[in-house]
Amino acid sequence: MRRHRAVLIALSTLLTASLITIAGPANAAEPNQVTDLTIRQADGYTTLAWQPVDGATDYQIERTPVDSADNPTGTPTIVGIWRPNRQINQESPTFADAGFNPGDRFQWRVRARIDTTELPYSEAVVGTTTAPWGNPDTPGERLRTQWETTHGAQYTSDTDEYAYTAAIDELSDRVRVVEIGRTIQNRPINMFVIGYPAPAATPEAVAATSPAAINCNVHGNEPGDREACLIMARQLAFSTDPRVTDLLSHTTVLIVPTINGDGRAANTRGNSTGQDLNRDYSLIRQPETAAYVKMVRDYRPVAGYDGHEYGNSRAGDLPMLPPRHQNVAQPIFDESMDMIEGHMYREGAEAGWWPCPYGCDGGGNVGLGEETILRNTLGLKNVVNSLLELRSSGGQTRPDEGNAANNRRRKTFSALWTFQQFLDYHRAKLTDITQARADAITFQAANTGRLVFRGSRPIAAHPAPHPGSSPPPIDAPPADLILDNAPCAYKLTEEQYHGPRTDGPTGAVTTAAERIADHGWKVVKAADGYYVPLNQPERGLIPLLLDAVGVENLVDGERVYPTRTGRHTGPLTITGFACLDDATVTGPVTVRPGATLVATDTTITGPVNATSAAGVLLANSKITGPLRVTGTTDAISLIDLNVTGPVDLSANRTTNQPLLAGTRVTGPLACAGNTTAPTNLNIRNTVTGPRAGQCATL
Amino acid sequence: MSNPRTRTPRRAGALLAAALLLATTACTDHSEPAPATAAVAVTGPLCAALPTGTEPGNPTALAGLPVEQALTWMPTLTTFEAALRTSGLLTDLDQDGLTLLAPTDDAFVKKFSDDTWDTLMTQDHDKLRTLLKAHLIAGTHSLDELAAAGTTTTVDGTALTVTRADATTRFGDTADAVCADYLAAGARIHLVNAVLGPLPTTADGSGHRAH
Repeated sequence: MRRHRAVLIALSTLLTASLITIAGPANAAEPNQVTDLTIRQADGYTTLAWQPVDGATDYQIERTPVDSADNPTGTPTIVGIWRPNRQINQESPTFADAGFNPGDRFQWRVRARIDTTELPYSEAVVGTTTAPWGNPDTPGERLRTQWETTHGAQYTSDTDEYAYTAAIDELSDRVRVVEIGRTIQNRPINMFVIGYPAPAATPEAVAATSPAAINCNVHGNEPGDREACLIMARQLAFSTDPRVTDLLSHTTVLIVPTINGDGRAANTRGNSTGQDLNRDYSLIRQPETAAYVKMVRDYRPVAGYDGHEYGNSRAGDLPMLPPRHQNVAQPIFDESMDMIEGHMYREGAEAGWWPCPYGCDGGGNVGLGEETILRNTLGLKNVVNSLLELRSSGGQTRPDEGNAANNRRRKTFSALWTFQQFLDYHRAKLTDITQARADAITFQAANTGRLVFRGSRPIAAHPAPHPGSSPPPIDAPPADLILDNAPCAYKLTEEQYHGPRTDGPTGAVTTAAERIADHGWKVVKAADGYYVPLNQPERGLIPLLLDAVGVENLVDGERVYPTRTGRHTGPLTITGFACLDDATVTGPVTVRPGATLVATDTTITGPVNATSAAGVLLANSKITGPLRVTGTTDAISLIDLNVTGPVDLSANRTTNQPLLAGTRVTGPLACAGNTTAPTNLNIRNTVTGPRAGQCATL
Repeated sequence: MSNPRTRTPRRAGALLAAALLLATTACTDHSEPAPATAAVAVTGPLCAALPTGTEPGNPTALAGLPVEQALTWMPTLTTFEAALRTSGLLTDLDQDGLTLLAPTDDAFVKKFSDDTWDTLMTQDHDKLRTLLKAHLIAGTHSLDELAAAGTTTTVDGTALTVTRADATTRFGDTADAVCADYLAAGARIHLVNAVLGPLPTTADGSGHRAH
């Protein structure tokens, strides 16, 4: 042993502090001894890797604190159990050891077991773990959270978070901290907006960078992810690592550390009224959830993570779940699954963390298809995203977490790993993500296919070997919550639309109109009520709130079906509210002042003229002849159109952004004098002629 | 409850001073409470899971702190600490000396569902105060003193038996001391592994709710 230790010391002096890999023994291995044990240091964890032993049923990871001369200073402790259900590749076992005080020095050994028979330990490897991120002598980098300075004994308080946040804001050009809302008890809900060399100046400009958003702490008694977010914000703000500057050069990172500051302060799941905020993202009865939904509307993140902790002690380290609601467009579901199973499972096997399907091993029978849950709400808003759980207790695979600080550190550093991986995924797959989003938005706007009020897409077990023992439960929609014949729109009465709601907190009364505006849905006013057409990007979410069958709806809106299908020849004049679906019109179409034209899957040959209309919402249709929309008062949405002829959007007076997205124009595109400039939602239009005015970059 | 302390700027132009302070002191002064003069010895199976030795929040470091501050350093008491703070009970009681039988977070999870607990914390404050009073005893009493007396009376007026068998000291029928004899200014804190008091158990044993 003496000689061995001397070799290690000599070796370790040659190696950098950030990456220490010490090769295994010089002498021959005993039979069934674990060989080639290596360690790799990262933020808050150490990845151990070794050669598997034939027939091993599991492995035990032993850690011993040592001093600078590598003499043990504490008791050897089994800190980890590697089991085959941890990872997708069994031939390269890895284990992310965590929970120790970052910066301390340890010796590790690993041994295999065959059932209860313990085989010989590997040779020991020694290393110094990575100290808390940031040079203590460098301004900015040297900031620390309360959680870090107290070695995990205390979570970062509200006031400490605000001071830390403000300091980062002040010291980093890459960071802008914006307040996206206030809690009921008037705590600010802050968001880090992080870009390189500086974040784009406005929400619309940030949206154009296809941001990645992390919601860190919705349940006040699940604070582990929040601490990871605060540390990551510092890393992103000050790191000179080329990976970080590259990431931030290509997108904007949005981090909301504490949406539920009142619940965090009281250590309760819900907010100060007891409302579980993760059952409120569709209804947005509470100011906290409304703030988040408005942020999504304005900043348009294309991908997200939502942080939680999970009481199922048999679960993996990091249970994850995509948006499963069946109204979520298939491309969003598929891309979210790829993020989890294609990226996180693979990278987890590299780093030694154990992501697994939500539930993982038993449990997970609630919170599946509810659109009130952020994971699903975001999916219905065409955001690729996942839930993240941190297993609350050490469980059977991390036996040394009776110590509260060990337990807290493992959780937070596993979340930090996940969020950093999320950013890497976003960077690597942005083209796929934005394509999925574009396909999803055009699919939704086409308003085709059945609607499901509640029920999940099935998730098959990952092919063996798979992490975890069981996929999430089926949660198929019951027959009475399926609507095969989707309406064209919902009509709300004045009382339904503008009546004060009684389902929110006292003192913060809102209306359906305000909540619909927060979601960013287009609404048109007619003589007989307010119409919310379904041919818009959040088509899958609208019925859940406005249909009488919606399980947790806002109002019992009236279903409005298409007013015209089939063939029409000759001039067509639109008055009131008209909905064309699967129609063919040959002849000029005129939308009268105050009228609304909604069309899907329709072909119009002949110019379309709308002057001072209430609304023009066209999707998945073909138009020949000039399309001219001027003076519109309420809503414009043109998605996935083929227009042969010029398009002119001018002098429209809507207070919400006119949408012009995914459309092919054979001819010029001109936009001028619109009160609110049109947006393409980052879905480029194809225009053969010149683009002018407010549409120059669409 | 309003929070005048929590106002924060949209763009922190005015916070340069705070930022500089923060940069030099690494986030205010959470690093280490002033050590008390004599070492404090705590006993029980849970003590090893709490800050020990020279770790921030070790028992000796807490001895001079007001009880409400001392509680914030005990990572397994987050539920109890927040409940006491929310209830305002410590301020109202204004006791000369106080002994706290502090149930661990695990004890609360075993006792109450998330819904019950959130309701107590957000709406039923009278009930919450009653519950907490069942964990407070007037005067500062070591665990040995309580065990020797065999019975005590909590602030809610309920008599509570204290029995000792082998190394375990039990309050009522269920609550064992798991780390005893923390000192704070004018207070003793004994961590216990079950919730006392009159409220019914509502936890269903499944741990906390899913996301």
